[in-house]
Amino acid sequence: MSAWTEDALSWRDERLSLTELPTNRRKQRSAPYRLHRPHLHVPEPVPEPQGTHISRLYPELLALIFERLPVRDRGRAAQVCRAWKDAADRRSVWRGVEAALHLRRPAPILFASLARRGIRKLQVLSLRRGLRDAVAALPGLESLSLSGCYSVTDAALASAFASELPALKRLDLSLCKQVTDSSLGRIAQSLKNLEELELGGCCNITDTGLLLIAWGLRKLRRLNLRSCWHVNDAGIAHLCGGGEARGTPDLEHLGLQDCQRLTDEALKHVATGLPNLKSINLSFCVAVTDAGLRHLARLPHLEDINLRACDGVSDAGVAHLAESGRLRALDVSFCDKVGDEALSHATLGLSGLRSLSLSACRLTDEGLERVARLSQLETLNIGQCTRVTDRGLRALGDGLLNLRAIDLYGCTCITPQGLDHIVKLPRLSVLNLGLWHVR
Amino acid sequence: MPNIKLQSSDNEVFAVDIEIAKCSVTIKTMLEDLGVDDEEEEVVPLPNVNSAILKKVIQWATYHKDDPPLPEDDENKEKRTDDISSWDADFLKVDQGTLFELILAANYLDIKGLLDVTCKTVANMIKGKTPDEIRKTFNIKNDFTAAEEDQVRKENEWCEEK
Repeated sequence: MSAWTEDALSWRDERLSLTELPTNRRKQRSAPYRLHRPHLHVPEPVPEPQGTHISRLYPELLALIFERLPVRDRGRAAQVCRAWKDAADRRSVWRGVEAALHLRRPAPILFASLARRGIRKLQVLSLRRGLRDAVAALPGLESLSLSGCYSVTDAALASAFASELPALKRLDLSLCKQVTDSSLGRIAQSLKNLEELELGGCCNITDTGLLLIAWGLRKLRRLNLRSCWHVNDAGIAHLCGGGEARGTPDLEHLGLQDCQRLTDEALKHVATGLPNLKSINLSFCVAVTDAGLRHLARLPHLEDINLRACDGVSDAGVAHLAESGRLRALDVSFCDKVGDEALSHATLGLSGLRSLSLSACRLTDEGLERVARLSQLETLNIGQCTRVTDRGLRALGDGLLNLRAIDLYGCTCITPQGLDHIVKLPRLSVLNLGLWHVR
Repeated sequence: MPNIKLQSSDNEVFAVDIEIAKCSVTIKTMLEDLGVDDEEEEVVPLPNVNSAILKKVIQWATYHKDDPPLPEDDENKEKRTDDISSWDADFLKVDQGTLFELILAANYLDIKGLLDVTCKTVANMIKGKTPDEIRKTFNIKNDFTAAEEDQVRKENEWCEEK
């Protein structure tokens, strides 16, 4: 701070603190000379004498008010005066709040404030430096997201996770494309209580990385490996406890979207090693076939399967899945070998479905008549099923009384008369016809 | 319905249906601790509430006597403040001083519903304003030094993200 600014500041303190004028103080501070500001001599407005002033409210009452504000306004309330700042620093005001910030450099004042407020969730919007200091300042950190921070390196993570962080339960590294297996080794050592790990788009991860996860992260419940293209069946086998690693037996949600090297062999491992799995995303895993789905059908808790654009899946595969009888959500959109037949064996076993996506499948009215028997359905996507006509819609309108959302985008053979059957459904709130249909 | 008598700080006495008075946890506990017999007409002194405010509180409690209990807080959900009923909104068309006294009374008497709706009302007065506008709204003096103001601004910059 230069001499003149200090001078200007102290001068300002004398004068400004006595006024309540709506002036832009930052601008004032940047003026290199004492401005002629006669308005500063306006006497302080006399406080309204009648009534109780807000300063009568105790800090805990102010905190109750601040809790009810959006985060932005909580931050502004903290800047009003000292009493409000103290009230706004109470932990109750920030319970559950995720701080989202740009980390350009270590910012001890900011980090200390976050710690004082008991912030446990941190989302880094962009990263240059300071991750290690932020993590060190927040020992109670439960959730850390670096999603989309392309600049994150193994070295930065090694330094941030140098010591154990037993509180951290959730880590999101999606699209941190420089991250390699070396970081996973560090994570497996230091973040032993991790329950959720997002690695979508971390395309340098290999089977070795999964071995490290399987070795260290026993409590993992959710793992997303979307577009980790180097992952093979052997990597999945590690997670399933086949071999030297103990595996991740508590895993409930596994995202393998676009892991194109995976085959039915991986699903065989999953069926034996991940008995608690509730949902799996295999979309764009083009090497998966009906035989793989037969393995999955053995999983006792599996409820949600995404097979979008799995070219190797056909009617028989869907029939395998139906055998389990527990599915609540199934997506076989763009599986062009799936059609009416899939539903003929399946209707009984799929009767618990709440959500079904068959977009661009080989579906006709006959298939829709079977879909119409899935009376619990709340969401149905049959966009681009170009062979479907009003007859099929009529069946849906008669059968799907719980339907809330339907996608009919690009169903070129339906007419407004057919749509009338859908529109009358009592619970329907979303009807997508896309750009194609004018209504 | 048996009545109970509530005495304000300025010694005015209000006869109130006992079930309505019990929406105040403070009064409810007091009655339980004292083991007051419903037959007797006790006078409960409320030295922290004046008659004007006590009258408002009784009016509120009478209207809300059959309300279900408030749901538990969910820390992951941002609290709504746009769900104030039109009756409450009308009831709270009062000057700031009365509003703050209602908050103090609701806190002292431990009436969750009234505390909630009055805090929401003040929150709505703060929402969307700059610190300076907030100061003007409530006639608050900025007592930060320049250095403190700079620090507190740095501490809260992140709240403006998104």
